[in-house]
Amino acid sequence: MSSRLTLVWIALYFLLLLLTLRWSSKIIRGPWLFLLRAFFPNWKFFHAVGYVPHLYVRHLGPEASWADWHWVYPRRPRRLWHLVHNTDVNLALAEQNLLDHFANDLNDLPEGEDARQLVTYQLVDRLVRFDLDRRLGAGAWQGYQFEVRMERSNAQGIEATETMLRSPECTA
Amino acid sequence: MSFEQGLQWMTWLLCWSLGLQCVEYLRTQHMTSAQGVWAWSVQQADIPMSNPGMRALLEKLYSPVWHSTHLWLRFYVVVSMGVSGVNLGAVMFLFASTLLILVRWRGAFNGGSDFMSLVVLTGLLIEEVLRVLLAPELAAKAGLWYVTIHAISSYFVSGWVKLMRPEWRSGRALTIFLNGGVYGPLPQNSLLRHPRLAQLGSWAFILWEGFSPLALLHPLLALPFCAIAALFHGLVFWYFGLNRFFWAWMASFPAILACSGTLGWPF
Repeated sequence: MSSRLTLVWIALYFLLLLLTLRWSSKIIRGPWLFLLRAFFPNWKFFHAVGYVPHLYVRHLGPEASWADWHWVYPRRPRRLWHLVHNTDVNLALAEQNLLDHFANDLNDLPEGEDARQLVTYQLVDRLVRFDLDRRLGAGAWQGYQFEVRMERSNAQGIEATETMLRSPECTA
Repeated sequence: MSFEQGLQWMTWLLCWSLGLQCVEYLRTQHMTSAQGVWAWSVQQADIPMSNPGMRALLEKLYSPVWHSTHLWLRFYVVVSMGVSGVNLGAVMFLFASTLLILVRWRGAFNGGSDFMSLVVLTGLLIEEVLRVLLAPELAAKAGLWYVTIHAISSYFVSGWVKLMRPEWRSGRALTIFLNGGVYGPLPQNSLLRHPRLAQLGSWAFILWEGFSPLALLHPLLALPFCAIAALFHGLVFWYFGLNRFFWAWMASFPAILACSGTLGWPF
């Protein structure tokens, strides 16, 4: 009898869970809630297609000319042993997560506020420098500039782009 | 699978998963150093803390030497727990250590896998705390049910949110996400670019995820459910490189297998 009752409770729990997916409730936010969000997982992975932030970087070469914009995006060759050890890919995904958080922070930034004060701006700025060193080598660039573009993809590739932020031109 | 066996397998798989994660954390230390992208000198502004003592403590704990020591100690505890079995002290240390690592990576290093690892670790913590008060069988049951409900919820939510999206029902989302994967884009002649096949694949996984609570009814349902889940996470690794997801969710399967059918067949 008690097992049957537990089963009913579990069924009700999943029913309630299903109902909560239909409701759009107010999102509670806070810095500690953000840092400890692992305690409140929402389990919504890859659920919606839409605009996602992409990072583009251009650098000032040794001849003082600007290179073309480069899309900083994680693409790696697949290896089976990555199943047990995949530091490089996980770091690349963490970089992409950082960019997602930066885009969210930019969205929340009050009108007229300087984005450079954001922690995420400063971290992305460091990421850009790190990426330039990684791709070109330290000392191979004299300056840089980056853009955050919101881009929407279809099955063929990127179909729409909007520039969300362009950084000032920075020196190395 | 009995609750004791479930607990044992869950502990081994969690230790394996946390051990792999720990080795990866050890290899990412250059990124959290003073010169790295996630330098604490910048990131500490994220911490809403007015207490200077607490701020100084975190600064100390996240200094390169202490952080490295912490990770090596974590690795040692994980290996010890895998070899000699679960105990309250080890689980409490790993729980606190996980919190420190999560804060260091602004809440998560690898999203869902961090969340599921924390769920399994919390299940072990519940079991170890309750073992002091209750019979071991009952404590194991509580810990394993905690993990099971979270694990099944993860599939259930993931399936139903997809079902509510037209781009998933048409299969379009699958192709788009696979194109964006770390090992992507899909080759031009990939079968998954074919709209009908993409739709079939989407629906297969949506239905399997959406009806995941049925796995709780009988071990003969839980076993194929977990086998398909392993295949699913294997594919997620294959296309997106999410190796941590594979092992984090694998660690929850013994709980599902141990709990399935224990409430009796309702029909």
